[in-house]
Amino acid sequence: MKRFSVRLILGLTLLVLVTASALFAPWIAPYSPIQTTTSVLAVPSAEHILGTDQLGRDVFSRIIWGTRVSLQVGVAAAVVAVLLGAPIGLAAGFFRGRIDFFLVQVIDIFIALPALVLALIITAMLGPSVTNLSVTLGVVTAPTVARLIRGQVFVVRETLYVEAARATGASSSWIIRKHIMPNTMRVVWAQFAINVSLAIFTSASLSFLGLGVPPPAPDWGGMVRDGSMFLPIRPAISLAPGVAVALTVLTFYLIGSSMNEDD
Amino acid sequence: MIALIASRIAIMIPNVIILTFLLFAATTSFLGTPAAIMLGEDASPESIAELNAKLGFDEPLLMRYWAWVTDALSGDFGRSYSTQQPVAEMIANALPLTMELALWAILFAFFGAALINSATFLKGFVDRVVAAVSVVGITVPNFFLGLLLIYLFSVQLRLLPTTGWSPWENGAGKHLLHMILPVVTLTTFYFSSFSLVYKAEYKSVENNLFIRAARAKGLSESRISYRHILPNSVLPLVTYAGLSLGQLVGGAVVTETVFSMPGMGRLLVNAISARDFPVMLAVGMVIIVGVMLLNLLADITYSLINPLVRTAG
Repeated sequence: MKRFSVRLILGLTLLVLVTASALFAPWIAPYSPIQTTTSVLAVPSAEHILGTDQLGRDVFSRIIWGTRVSLQVGVAAAVVAVLLGAPIGLAAGFFRGRIDFFLVQVIDIFIALPALVLALIITAMLGPSVTNLSVTLGVVTAPTVARLIRGQVFVVRETLYVEAARATGASSSWIIRKHIMPNTMRVVWAQFAINVSLAIFTSASLSFLGLGVPPPAPDWGGMVRDGSMFLPIRPAISLAPGVAVALTVLTFYLIGSSMNEDD
Repeated sequence: MIALIASRIAIMIPNVIILTFLLFAATTSFLGTPAAIMLGEDASPESIAELNAKLGFDEPLLMRYWAWVTDALSGDFGRSYSTQQPVAEMIANALPLTMELALWAILFAFFGAALINSATFLKGFVDRVVAAVSVVGITVPNFFLGLLLIYLFSVQLRLLPTTGWSPWENGAGKHLLHMILPVVTLTTFYFSSFSLVYKAEYKSVENNLFIRAARAKGLSESRISYRHILPNSVLPLVTYAGLSLGQLVGGAVVTETVFSMPGMGRLLVNAISARDFPVMLAVGMVIIVGVMLLNLLADITYSLINPLVRTAG
C-alpha cells in the first residue's frame, strides 16, 4: 500500500474506537449491562444518554458491552472461515484437474445455498452460544474464501517466478509455501476483514431472529429485537444498537475493501 | 444446448440428494426424537418408545429419509407438531408471499443496477449517489434498515402502514402499499452488490474498439451507454443474480420477520422456536431445493442469451 486511502483511514479510526469500546467496556459503560432496575423505559437524559430498556437497563452500557460479544463472534468466525477455506482454495487452485473440479462443485453448491438459513437451522440444533455461532458462521462462509483464494492462486501460479522455481526443480510444497502463499496473503487478509464484517452482520441477524447469544448477555441483534416493540415511543432502544451493528460492519468492510482496492 | 442442460441436471441431482439427506439426518439426530419433544420431560420411556414406533421413528435413518422423500414428492410433508395442520398447507400459504417479495427485490435490483449505473452521461452525480447507497446496502443489516424505514415513514411521517401484510384479495393497492417498505429493505442490499458487479463489467466493455467506433460516429453518450455498452455488460449480472438467490432468501427471512409478514421466513423462525420438527425440515428442504432449481434456471438463461457458452458447453 503506497498511500493510505480515505477508506482505510476511516476504517482504522473506527477500528480503534470499536476495539477500545470492547477492551475498556467496564470503564466506559456507566452502568452494569445486565443489572435490572426499576427505572423502566426512561427517556434519554444526562443520566442515561440513550435511556433505559424495558427491564430498566442502561441502553448505552449494554451497547458498549455488546461490542465484546460482537467482535468475539465476528473474529472467531472469520478465523474459522479462513482456516477452513484457505487450504481448500489453495489445493483447488494449485493442483487443478480433477481435484479442482470436485472442490469447485462442492464450493459452488455451498455458495449458492442460503447461508443465513443454514446458520439458522444449525444454531437451532446446536443451541445458541458464542462458540456455536462462531463455528457455524465460519463454516457457512468458508466456501466464499475458498473460491476467492482459488482464483488468486490461479493468477499467481502462472507468473514467471513460479515457472522459474519449477524449472529449477522446486517441489510443489516448496512452491506453495515460498511463492504461492506469500503472494496470496494480502487477498487472504482483505477477505479476513470482509468476513469479520459478514459474520457480525449475520450473527446480528440471527440474534434478531431470536437465535443469538442467550440473554441476559448484551447482544445487539437481540436488543434491536426486544426494543422494536417500543419503536414508536422509545426509538433509541432499538435503533441505537442497530447503529452499533452497522458501524462495526462498516469498520471491517472499509478495511477489507481498501486492502483489495489499491494495487 | 440440450446436452448442457442435461449435464447441469445430472450434476444437480446427486447434490440435491446429498444435501437433503444431510439436512434430514442433522435435524432428526440433533433434535432428539419427536416423541420426547411432544410428550414433554415427564413422559415415561415406554410411552416415548410407543409414540416413536407409531410415528415410524424406530426405523433406520435411511429408511425414514426414503419415506419422507416419497411422501414429500406426493405432496405430503406430514403434520405440524404444534398446530396439527398439514405442513404442505402451511407452506402453500406462506410460499407465494416470500416468492413475491424476492421477485420484486431481484427485479428492482437487477434493472435498477443496470439502468442507473449506465447513466454515465450524468457524470459524477450517479456514481456518488450509487456509492452512498451501496455503503448503506452492504453495511446496514436488513433488520435495522427495515426498522429505520418503519420509524421514518410509518411512525414519524405516517405515510405507510407499519407492519403486517394485506393479501391481494383485499385490493391490489392496499397490498402494494404494504409491500413498499419490505421491498425497499430487501432491494437495497442487492442493488448495492449488483451495482459493483455491473460497474466493473461496464468499465471493461467501455474500453472496446466498437465503443470507440460508436463514439467516432458521433452517437450520443446516452445511446452508447444504453444501446452499445448495456447489452454487452448485463451477462455477468445474470450469473450473479443466480448465485445470490441463496442470500436473497436469507434476506427475505429477516425482512419478513421485521415487517411481521406471514411468509416462509416467519414459518421457519416460529418452527425453530417451537421445535416444530416437520415444519422446520420441510421449510428448509423447500428453500434449499428451490434455490438450487432457480440456480439451474439462471444457468440455463445465461447459456440461452450467451452463444459463447452454448458452443463451449
